[in-house]
Amino acid sequence: MDKIIKDLTSRFKVTDYIQQRPNMAYVTVQKELAISLITHMRDIEGFTHFVLLTAVDWIEDNLFQLTYILNSPDKKVDLGIRVMIDRENPTMDSAHHLWQQVATYQRELKEMFGIDFPGSPRVDESFILEGWDDIPPYRRDFDTLKYAEETYFPRDGRGSNDPAEYMKKKLYPDEEK
Amino acid sequence: MSLKDLLTPFTAWKNVFEDSYVVKDPFNDRPGADRYRGFHKNDISECIGCGTCEEICENKAIDLVPVEGIDTKDGDSGLRPRVDYGRCCWCALCVDVCTTNSLSLSNEYTWVSEDPEDFRFIPGVDKKPWDDNEKGWKKPEGEYNFYEPERVHMEHLEPEARDNSFIEMVKGFSKEQAQKEADRCVECGICVATCPAHMGIPEYIKAVRQDDIEQGFKILYETNPLPEICGRICTHKCETVCSVGHNGDPLSIRWLKRYIADQVDSEDYKKVLGTENIEKNDRKVAIIGAGPAGLSAAHYLALAGYNCTIFEKLPEAGGMMRYGIPEYRLPYDQLDKDINYIKSLGVEIKYNTSVGKDILLNDLKREYDAVFAGTGLHLGRSTRIPGTDHEQVYMAADLLREISLGNEIPLAEKIVVIGGGNVAMDITRSIARLQNKKYGKVDVTATSLESEDIMPADREEVVEAREEKAIVDPGWGPEKIEIEEGKLKGLHVKKCLSVFDEAGRFSPTFDEENHKFFPADMIVESIGQGADLSYISDDIRDNIEFNERGRMVVNEYFQSKAEWLFVGGDIIQGPDVIHGIANGHQAARGIDKYLNGDLKYKSE
Repeated sequence: MDKIIKDLTSRFKVTDYIQQRPNMAYVTVQKELAISLITHMRDIEGFTHFVLLTAVDWIEDNLFQLTYILNSPDKKVDLGIRVMIDRENPTMDSAHHLWQQVATYQRELKEMFGIDFPGSPRVDESFILEGWDDIPPYRRDFDTLKYAEETYFPRDGRGSNDPAEYMKKKLYPDEEK
Repeated sequence: MSLKDLLTPFTAWKNVFEDSYVVKDPFNDRPGADRYRGFHKNDISECIGCGTCEEICENKAIDLVPVEGIDTKDGDSGLRPRVDYGRCCWCALCVDVCTTNSLSLSNEYTWVSEDPEDFRFIPGVDKKPWDDNEKGWKKPEGEYNFYEPERVHMEHLEPEARDNSFIEMVKGFSKEQAQKEADRCVECGICVATCPAHMGIPEYIKAVRQDDIEQGFKILYETNPLPEICGRICTHKCETVCSVGHNGDPLSIRWLKRYIADQVDSEDYKKVLGTENIEKNDRKVAIIGAGPAGLSAAHYLALAGYNCTIFEKLPEAGGMMRYGIPEYRLPYDQLDKDINYIKSLGVEIKYNTSVGKDILLNDLKREYDAVFAGTGLHLGRSTRIPGTDHEQVYMAADLLREISLGNEIPLAEKIVVIGGGNVAMDITRSIARLQNKKYGKVDVTATSLESEDIMPADREEVVEAREEKAIVDPGWGPEKIEIEEGKLKGLHVKKCLSVFDEAGRFSPTFDEENHKFFPADMIVESIGQGADLSYISDDIRDNIEFNERGRMVVNEYFQSKAEWLFVGGDIIQGPDVIHGIANGHQAARGIDKYLNGDLKYKSE
């Protein structure tokens, strides 16, 4: 693993190297260099298996984090490649030409986070949220509770109690304010 | 078709004796991963029904519902979370925020039932096959917390800086400290029921967090007209049930209350509380005793327009808060800040006026529309062991009163205090300061019947007394006071084995072989106080009910059988300040009802 990272560092400007466990490491790379780094890993270093692509909303820093996880079947190691992109205008170069299933992940991220991957097949089509008319729901500023309250109705038989109110009712019901 | 194509299928035969990689019985045998987030489990005996799980749930999947067999009591709402799996998204935020760590997720995720109602149940109450499943999601220990488990440190004066004076030792929170402390509150409200005055604790803590001092101050006065005082010396029973205290320090509720009150200047009180113009009525209420109960009753009666006159035996108001609690815990200027505001509402205080001597209770009955008596417990009780009639044996309450009056008290170089409550600690620590000032050294020993673990005094009082070089040696029963040629020599004690019997009644047992002698030139008794009810003349007494222990019987509005007479504070409940405040408030409501013809001693 060390050798791979050393090689990576000499070729690409990577930062925040984290050895998560002996067979798993993360690096962070600039947005512009990410696709060439991934291509290099696939074609030269033997990371031929694409595991997943996911995102994190760092709303406080106004950033989205993309994480590509690649696997080398020969070396039996995983490498996570993190890319921080601007949250205001979230677009990223597509990687569907490297593995065609990447297009599906990108379509999901477009729907759930609003991150665009121009040129990715069917990226603008609904993924699972048909008819969605709110902000992308995995964004941290999406108010899940408010949405749930406005959209769904409680099942029959639902009903809750406020602990302080309930204790008053049980323990000192006659006392007025 | 090449030869290879023909032969390849047969290469698979080499795997025929290998172990299978697929699940053999996919219908029964497909366990979740060790930390899989499956159906909920709840340790019902640990859960206190605080509702933080419900509060954090992004999907409103949790209801708090009563459960048969679980009683509502101090520190436990009696409610338990019920999960609606039609909404649960298995995020486990409820587990991570759980204050008692009772809630967890099993790794069981397959469960079939044809009745949709089955998918709404109370984990831990409605028994499920995965209740004993050890695997699943628990809050990772020590990795992260949704709220800070440790309280913000409150700065105290160092022992050397306080042990020879009566200056206040607790410094109070800064704004940053108060907000940080307030941020730890989960707003469950479990504490409210335990507070005798049922203060709006989560609401005023929220006001601190939002830096809305005026709002916080208003909330304090809804239930407590002595916030500067309670913010310093309240027995803070609320903190003993704080849900955050189950896995960390409880909220510093008392110091946050003090913080709010400290931020408001005296001259702004009426403006903030909206009491600049109170409409007065023409009815008069007499109040006996300017302690917490009397002041509280006067405050709420004055707000309702009544003309209140307090008759106070001593030269200043405050009762035990002034004449019992030492100045290093409750500075007089803070006491006066609370009292002066109550006076500014038109409450008149007649000082140095002893009801029963200077004016009779029957006079008050005649001249006023109602009377509230909150006369407290000021008579020191004696152990009555041989030698207690010696002139060098004193009562703690008497000495504390003398110190507050500014008088010099008799002060020997070697003193023993009998008692293990907060009053005993007050007199011990006061003596330590005075000895230090007068002799340059401390030689005072407090000894109590109760062993260290069951001493009634607050823990911090014992710790701080020792910091101030007083000796606290608990677990001894006083036998007799040694007197030689008329001179007090010390106290004989024997080891106390237990204080209460199995039924919880006071019935101490001793080790008759294990004796000890505390040499002393002076002894102070501090084993409790009794009421002086001599102001209640016989004709009135005949119209009042007393219980078998000699306590006056009152209804829920603190009204006695003589319906014009309301009674509260230490003589009814407590003893402590906050019960007095709560009693006074409730009595004020009662007097208002009584004077409007809506209250009888016994409702029909």
